[in-house]
Amino acid sequence: MQSLKILVVDDDPVTRSLLTKRLAKDDYQVETAASGVDAVRMISHSFYDVILTDLMMPGGVDGIGVLETAKENNLKTEVILITAHGTIDNAIVAMKKGANDYLQKPINMDELILRLAKIQNLKHLMKNASDLRIAMEATEQASSETIQNLEMTVADLQQRMTAIRSTLERGDLPADERIALALKN
Amino acid sequence: MSLMTPGNFSSVTTKEPAASVPKAVPKPFPGIRNAVKITPAEVQLFSKYIYGLCGINIEASKAYLLETRLGKLLESERCDSFTTFYYKAKGDTTKLLEKQIIDAITTNETLFFRDATPFDLLRHKIVPEMIDHRATTVPNGSPVPLRIWSAACSTGQEIYSIAMVLRELLGPNHNYSIKLLGTDISDAAIKQASYGAYNKFEIERGLPQEKLHRYFSPLGEMWKISDEIRAMATFRKFNLMESFSSLGKFDIIFCRNVAIYFLLEDRIKVFNKIADSLEMDGFLIIGSTESLTGVCPRFIPKRHLKSIFYQLK
Ligand SMILES: C[S@@+](CC[C@H](N)C(=O)[O-])C[C@H]1O[C@@H](n2cnc3c(N)ncnc32)[C@H](O)[C@@H]1O
Repeated sequence: MQSLKILVVDDDPVTRSLLTKRLAKDDYQVETAASGVDAVRMISHSFYDVILTDLMMPGGVDGIGVLETAKENNLKTEVILITAHGTIDNAIVAMKKGANDYLQKPINMDELILRLAKIQNLKHLMKNASDLRIAMEATEQASSETIQNLEMTVADLQQRMTAIRSTLERGDLPADERIALALKN
Repeated sequence: MSLMTPGNFSSVTTKEPAASVPKAVPKPFPGIRNAVKITPAEVQLFSKYIYGLCGINIEASKAYLLETRLGKLLESERCDSFTTFYYKAKGDTTKLLEKQIIDAITTNETLFFRDATPFDLLRHKIVPEMIDHRATTVPNGSPVPLRIWSAACSTGQEIYSIAMVLRELLGPNHNYSIKLLGTDISDAAIKQASYGAYNKFEIERGLPQEKLHRYFSPLGEMWKISDEIRAMATFRKFNLMESFSSLGKFDIIFCRNVAIYFLLEDRIKVFNKIADSLEMDGFLIIGSTESLTGVCPRFIPKRHLKSIFYQLK
């Protein structure tokens, strides 16, 4: 299973390094951004499976800004917000805007790892489903071409048969002429 | 989730034979769920019942379909066998169980802009042609009517895809009287279509990002269609096995990926009724792997670029 690529966004260097170390230990690919502005730039250049971002950050782009950019860029990116104690209301606003989850500070690492495992699992299932879908679509497209060609051919043949029949049934010509005319069709 | 306790069902009143009814095997451990198996006789019973409800044909070889799709209902109704469930459903005067069976048995698989080509066809050929044609027959100044029907609309993606095409083609202010109707036999599907909200899996399928941002807004975990697009369509529950006379006539009919579940004789009936409901110069679009050969000679297939549509002879 491909390990998740995670972007950690926090203006606090201690939190950044704690998270990076813990996530790397579980074989996740981790990158960090020290501000919302940096994060936005990174998101537009590269795809991340998960973005773990602090909600409150100085410098003009906060966690909600990161969330919005991430979702605009690629809906497949999951965003987990990290909120300070007592700012649940903000977290709820963020969830309404499409955040997938939120964690409260101080971060419980075991809980975070569990949630990431869940996301990993879900992504894997989604990949299975999408592979199946792609295979199905390929089959469907191939068969639809065959069926549609047959449909046109049959319709054309039917039309010719009808024309031949009406030629053969003409009362105004002798049999041999009718046959000759029908064959020309 | 219900825990089934065998022996609780003596109160189920069935006048019909109980002697031949296979009893569910008692669970080895109480509380451990053991899926109820369906017997060949019950497969027959249910196939016939379901056929009568919605015309869907379930062959004996697809017995697993009944087990997997109805299993949960059986459980929540605390029925220990398919036979018990059958009589319970038949005896339910509220018809709620019947609806739930239909919801469970129908395949609502659909996606936005499915197969893509029919929607290009609509945009580049059908609608412009139809409008030109109609403009000459409608009295000056009165709006040109355009009635489109998605005859098995499932959760609404098909009709909303059509609505988006029309919105882009005609702009916000136009002088057409547009009527988009979506019908389906599944209450659950119609309910979702009518609400117009889709989860992440559903919107990731077929919907270009640009359209997602333009016509949808996030609503919790879901995405909701804009009021403008929603207002273009109406939805209603409708069984294709019934008479179509209450629906009136249409200029364009989409009947895709539903007749594949019907027997040939019923396909013939459905497409004949569609032929009756279509205006003389109307258009019919069927699923990309479907064919009308041997089904309805009143339609002739026509090709435009990569897609096929049908018109009356
Ligand atoms: C696979 S979906 C097709 C949706 C859409 N037309 C498309 O092509 O993507 C089939 C739908 O047909 C509906 N259906 C099945 N039997 C029906 C009947 N007798 N009358 C109306 N709808 C029916 C099901 O509920 C289901 O939503």
